[in-house]
Amino acid sequence: MEQMYAYKCKKCGKLHHPRYIVCQNPDCDGREFEALPLEGKCKLLTWTRVYNLPEGYMMPWLNFGVVEFENGVRATGQIGFDDGIESGMELVSTVGVVRTRRILYKESIDCEEYGFIFQKP
Amino acid sequence: MGKYDILVDEMEAKLRPPTIGLKPYEPKVIPLTTGEDMLVRPASREETEMVLDGIKVLLDHQKDFYDIVSARIVAELLGMLRYRVQDEYLLIGCVDGEIAGIVNGRMVNEKIGMSYHTMTLKRGARVGAQLFAAKMEYHFDFMNQDEVWIVAESPNGFKRWMIEYELESRPQCPHELGGVPTFVLTRALWEKHKANKNVGIRPAFEDAIEANKVVHMPAKISV
Amino acid sequence: MRQVGIVGVGHTKFGKSNVPFLDMLCEAALLAMDDAGAKTGRRNVIDQVFVGSMGAGMVNRVSGAASAVVDSLNIRPAMAETVENGPASGASAVKLGVMAIASGMCDCVLAIGGEAMREVSGWEGTDFVATMLHPTAEYKYGLTLPSFAGMFTRLCMTRFGVESKDLSIVSVKNHDNACQNPVAHIQRPVVLERITNPTYINATNPIVADPLRQFDMCPVSDGAAAVLLVAKDKQEELGFGHKPFVRVAGIASATDTHVVANRENPSDLLAVRLSAEKAYKMAGMKPEDIDVAELHDAFQILEIEESEETGLFPRGQGHIAARNGDTKVDGKMPINTSGGLKAKGHPLGATGVSQIIELVRQLRGEAAGRQVEGAKTGLAINFGGFGNNVVATILTTK
Repeated sequence: MEQMYAYKCKKCGKLHHPRYIVCQNPDCDGREFEALPLEGKCKLLTWTRVYNLPEGYMMPWLNFGVVEFENGVRATGQIGFDDGIESGMELVSTVGVVRTRRILYKESIDCEEYGFIFQKP
Repeated sequence: MGKYDILVDEMEAKLRPPTIGLKPYEPKVIPLTTGEDMLVRPASREETEMVLDGIKVLLDHQKDFYDIVSARIVAELLGMLRYRVQDEYLLIGCVDGEIAGIVNGRMVNEKIGMSYHTMTLKRGARVGAQLFAAKMEYHFDFMNQDEVWIVAESPNGFKRWMIEYELESRPQCPHELGGVPTFVLTRALWEKHKANKNVGIRPAFEDAIEANKVVHMPAKISV
Repeated sequence: MRQVGIVGVGHTKFGKSNVPFLDMLCEAALLAMDDAGAKTGRRNVIDQVFVGSMGAGMVNRVSGAASAVVDSLNIRPAMAETVENGPASGASAVKLGVMAIASGMCDCVLAIGGEAMREVSGWEGTDFVATMLHPTAEYKYGLTLPSFAGMFTRLCMTRFGVESKDLSIVSVKNHDNACQNPVAHIQRPVVLERITNPTYINATNPIVADPLRQFDMCPVSDGAAAVLLVAKDKQEELGFGHKPFVRVAGIASATDTHVVANRENPSDLLAVRLSAEKAYKMAGMKPEDIDVAELHDAFQILEIEESEETGLFPRGQGHIAARNGDTKVDGKMPINTSGGLKAKGHPLGATGVSQIIELVRQLRGEAAGRQVEGAKTGLAINFGGFGNNVVATILTTK
């Protein structure tokens, strides 16, 4: 999936990311959602550079951040650059491979998973 | 004569390796989180003998690959003491007269260094990470080499060196420890990482030098 | 409601262990049973065993741990269930025990928490702990618990003025406390200057998840802990009359959004606040009644923020209190006298039970070297996920 989505409740219009089963509006009980592309400009709320990565990531560090899109939806993802990361900065979302998951069946299959990689505008 | 000394006759002289001339490693003090000062300095010949005998207790210690690493170091130090390895060195980290960790390696030629092993005897105080950095410092900043060849024989080693220093993978390079894929710390990578990895206070504090003039192995090695 | 209390505690030495997972659980269980004088076989009075563990199945390839323990201990046909609530599994096991007794279904319950995490490498362990994050919105990115703690710390630094040194102050205090706790993982003092001096901080205390450094977070530990719970009205009859009854005055849990980014204010710990409020209400107590607290400092920032969300300090003042020494053993509000997760260690499932044991030791006056004089009431916070499932427990001898 190379497109990321926000999920709009068909009953009350609340936007969600990720997908939920029941609308998160406490006054709504909607269970149907419309998928709308979630992309474009966003603001970095907080970030970290992690040096102690889990199994499967063979790199000295990775940057992560939480952003808020212009429509108010928040998302967590990787930050695709190293220099000048600051809370509050404007970013733009792109989509790329964020993990290669090895699925062990009779033979192993590498499965690429896509997600947000935030970049400088 | 020491336990490992050999009479140098004509044949023995032929068997001994040449040298490019090892420069002295200037001792430094590394502050440990416990508040103790660790002195890093080259080991004397007598101390090398002591380390060689002292780590033999680890030969059957499978946890974290101490068995392989100790067996290798025993062989390497024996080779050094019996003059069968060219330009090998042993650095020790000591705290209050007790050896906290050891690192060794050798110079292949003026440009290439061969990293052998890093062994921590006092765990949990970042001793191994500090000593590995000191060893690289010796190759690059004292011996002025271009690159050091490195292999990891334990997952801890792989994580510390290959990933944290972003070592260049060069599996075609024949590292002397054999069989294990070779990684290379180039000068460029050293310059990139040394500010964060390599610390130490020079000249070393007088009291730290004094406290570690005579050193001993830990009475009981618990690793 | 029936009064429920603790009459026996058992705690293995935390750290790296070579003891198999189930044996570790049994060791803690027997220590707790012996402490209370509980018998096995025909003389067993334990109705139910709850085992709290996060990774038994995933890391140790052991399922049905509680059933196995009951059999090993020869206390069949006691009821047995294993519960999983991430790093709060231990306190959840205790909570279920209290519920079982309070409801009248049981009179005596053994709650055990345990984890053998060091069976796998550090990065496999990091990955396993991260599986409690949201699978598609968090986990798949390579995000881990330290990642969220790093981002959370940055928010708290901006919002409240918490400084990196404040985290080190908490760390040093917890290391000092652990030196007095014989079951702690790391019984070694740490010198503040050595982990904060800018000339060598990157080597002695390297950054792990910016701005968090190594000494701002707990180690990976193995260990188990167990408590024996009994109904007050059955304490004499079941043979525990000789033991002090440490009453569970309040125990409650609360949940928050799974996806951390979707919290109204991501620098709040809402589930901590709500679980503590519920526990206070159940106990009929207020934060002022607490004499000693065990807070879930998997990351040092959490000790500070939990001390505020539980009402022990006003919001934004937790780091100031730590700076002033108020949270030391002899301070106004001693926190983590056990050494906390930072130095006592954090074997996930064991931690919640271990925190409760520290409170029992304090309230019984058995915490030699770290005893809070006259402590009568204690609070524990066991934090699951990145704060999306939290258990609060209040114990008292009043």
